[in-house]
Amino acid sequence: MAFVDLIYGRLLLVTGKGGTGKSSVSAAFGRLGAAQGRKTLVLEIDAQNPAMKSIYGVEPGYKPVEVAPNLWVANLHWLDNLSEWVSRVLPGGRVVRLVLNNPLIQSFLKVAPGNRETIALSKIGWLLEEFDLVVVDLAASGHATAMLEVPNTMIGLFPSGPIRREGERALEMLCASDAHLVLVGLPEDMVVNETIETFEAIREKVPGLSIDAVLLNRSSVPSLTDDEQGFLAALSEGEKIESAEELLWAGRWEAQLEEATAHAEERLAERLHTRVIQIPRLSHEGGPQQLVHQIAAAMVRSSTQKRSS
Amino acid sequence: MNSSLEELVTTKKLLVCVGSGGVGKTTMAATIGLRAARQGRKVLVLTIDPARRLANSLGLDSIGNVETQIDIGTSEGELWAMMLDTKTTFDELIRKSAPDEETREAILSNRIYQTLSAHFSGSQEYMAGEALYDIVDSDRYELVVLDTPPAKNALDFLEASARLAQFLDPRVINVFLSPPEERRFFGRFMFGTSAVVFKLLGFVFGGEFLNDFSAFLRHFEPMYEGFRNRHEAVSELLRAPDTSFLTICAPNESSMEVAQFFNEELKQRGLSKGAIIVNQVLPCEGEALDPNTLLGEAASELQGQFSQGTSARILARLGAAHRRLRQHAHIERKLIENIRSMMHDETNTLVEVPRLEGEVHDLDSLDRAASLLFG
Repeated sequence: MAFVDLIYGRLLLVTGKGGTGKSSVSAAFGRLGAAQGRKTLVLEIDAQNPAMKSIYGVEPGYKPVEVAPNLWVANLHWLDNLSEWVSRVLPGGRVVRLVLNNPLIQSFLKVAPGNRETIALSKIGWLLEEFDLVVVDLAASGHATAMLEVPNTMIGLFPSGPIRREGERALEMLCASDAHLVLVGLPEDMVVNETIETFEAIREKVPGLSIDAVLLNRSSVPSLTDDEQGFLAALSEGEKIESAEELLWAGRWEAQLEEATAHAEERLAERLHTRVIQIPRLSHEGGPQQLVHQIAAAMVRSSTQKRSS
Repeated sequence: MNSSLEELVTTKKLLVCVGSGGVGKTTMAATIGLRAARQGRKVLVLTIDPARRLANSLGLDSIGNVETQIDIGTSEGELWAMMLDTKTTFDELIRKSAPDEETREAILSNRIYQTLSAHFSGSQEYMAGEALYDIVDSDRYELVVLDTPPAKNALDFLEASARLAQFLDPRVINVFLSPPEERRFFGRFMFGTSAVVFKLLGFVFGGEFLNDFSAFLRHFEPMYEGFRNRHEAVSELLRAPDTSFLTICAPNESSMEVAQFFNEELKQRGLSKGAIIVNQVLPCEGEALDPNTLLGEAASELQGQFSQGTSARILARLGAAHRRLRQHAHIERKLIENIRSMMHDETNTLVEVPRLEGEVHDLDSLDRAASLLFG
């Protein structure tokens, strides 16, 4: 399956270290899915600063809103999530609902650990009934891993009852053949380390979940020959010309980015048996939505290149 | 010289670094810690970021859940580092606060306790407050620099002890703990006895879980008071006059939005905003530079040692790279001015730190980062 064909699945989870561009990548997947005529939702989970707001200029609410043909966004505010969860999951009957609507029990449910993750996973399952494709812009890697681990924890903790059933349902959803996870990283040592750790942690904790690619965002394609690199170094080390320092810095900076990209790709390929897709450094000048368009285009390009090679 | 930041480092007892991921928060925490140690203070850098990048930036393979001294090559001042391991800290807390051995063992082997302490993301933040309080309270350090998880969760960190106190609300616990015949829940007139409630909760959570949970709370009961008191103490610590928050961000839209959001939250909570640090700023004055004028001579002298045309290609390349640098820097400048104008009426400072060449992964590079941060 070519990389962009991931949009023909049902559930696409996106995570990675903070600051790597998870949200832009999620939005780009959303754009590609919608362009193929699939009813697509890009979902954030209880984001305090929803990224989709700066991309689409619309504050995503709990209820999905359509921002472009076939493209919807939503932000799972957890209090709304909790009340829907209570009314859908818990055994019916007025009395149970009365008890659960009791402020004391509500405050207990709010703080019970694992609660937010559980209800969000249930909600994703319901959204899959409404949408052809749900792209989830997950939290940064550490907390995303903790969230993906929750169904197994719930199954271990609850020998019976509705919560256990929700845990089983969520695990089934994550491990379905049409569910995929993509990790977003950057060509920097620390980010690569964390990407590898996250990949291994998810593989260990949720072995059934398919991790389909590592996206190396803001990559630079190597363009300097050895000779040119040597020249640049010699020029930098030569007699210092104060006014030219910035020029040389710019040149070294780009050369360094190219080298870092090659190094990152090599380490990822060596440690993880998965495909590495490079997304080039792109200009932020056109604003966030323009950036998303460019990332989507780069994803398609990089996918077709891989296929032909 | 950045005097107000310098002052924070020499006078405060606790500096909390907050901000979104990928902005160099851990590196900044380590840099600040090293600077304070170089000035003769005894400093601990504590990270509760589950990503555990502190060891990397100190040039170490790993740091454990114990305070580890870092050799900084001077006898004055000490730098210590520690990565918080949630489960170990939680277990230690139980060992310390359990009234007797039986209770201790009962809790440590309880299924709910084990899940709570090891598997839930919230526990990390619950425990951070506990560990932080212990360390600051012990007075072993003159300064503690705390590196928090990325922003969304840093808020959890501020709320964590409140959430635990709420979780241990005696009215909730009462439902689970009192003998069945006495269980009342918001008065009999509303729901009847809480035995009914208990039964209903059984439908929701499953009977086995509820029994586990009652047992867990029963063993925990003698320690509630202590937990609630510590919650008060942690809140107080974060509001203390010698505590300050440093908001770290990078010059990109999303991390700056998070920083502003954070600044607002700190204000609302009445917490002390020490400084906003904009890290990784591209070093660019913004003027167009012509490589041929500035470097043409030097390049032609070098050309002899390289293959034909290298000089011209490199000069052209430098021109293009510099144009791209200016473009990026221009966007960054607008973002920084934006955040500056938004905080014009405030007392905290904004510090810019230029992007370093190469990564920070040893003390030398941390010292370089410190000279850029403090000027």
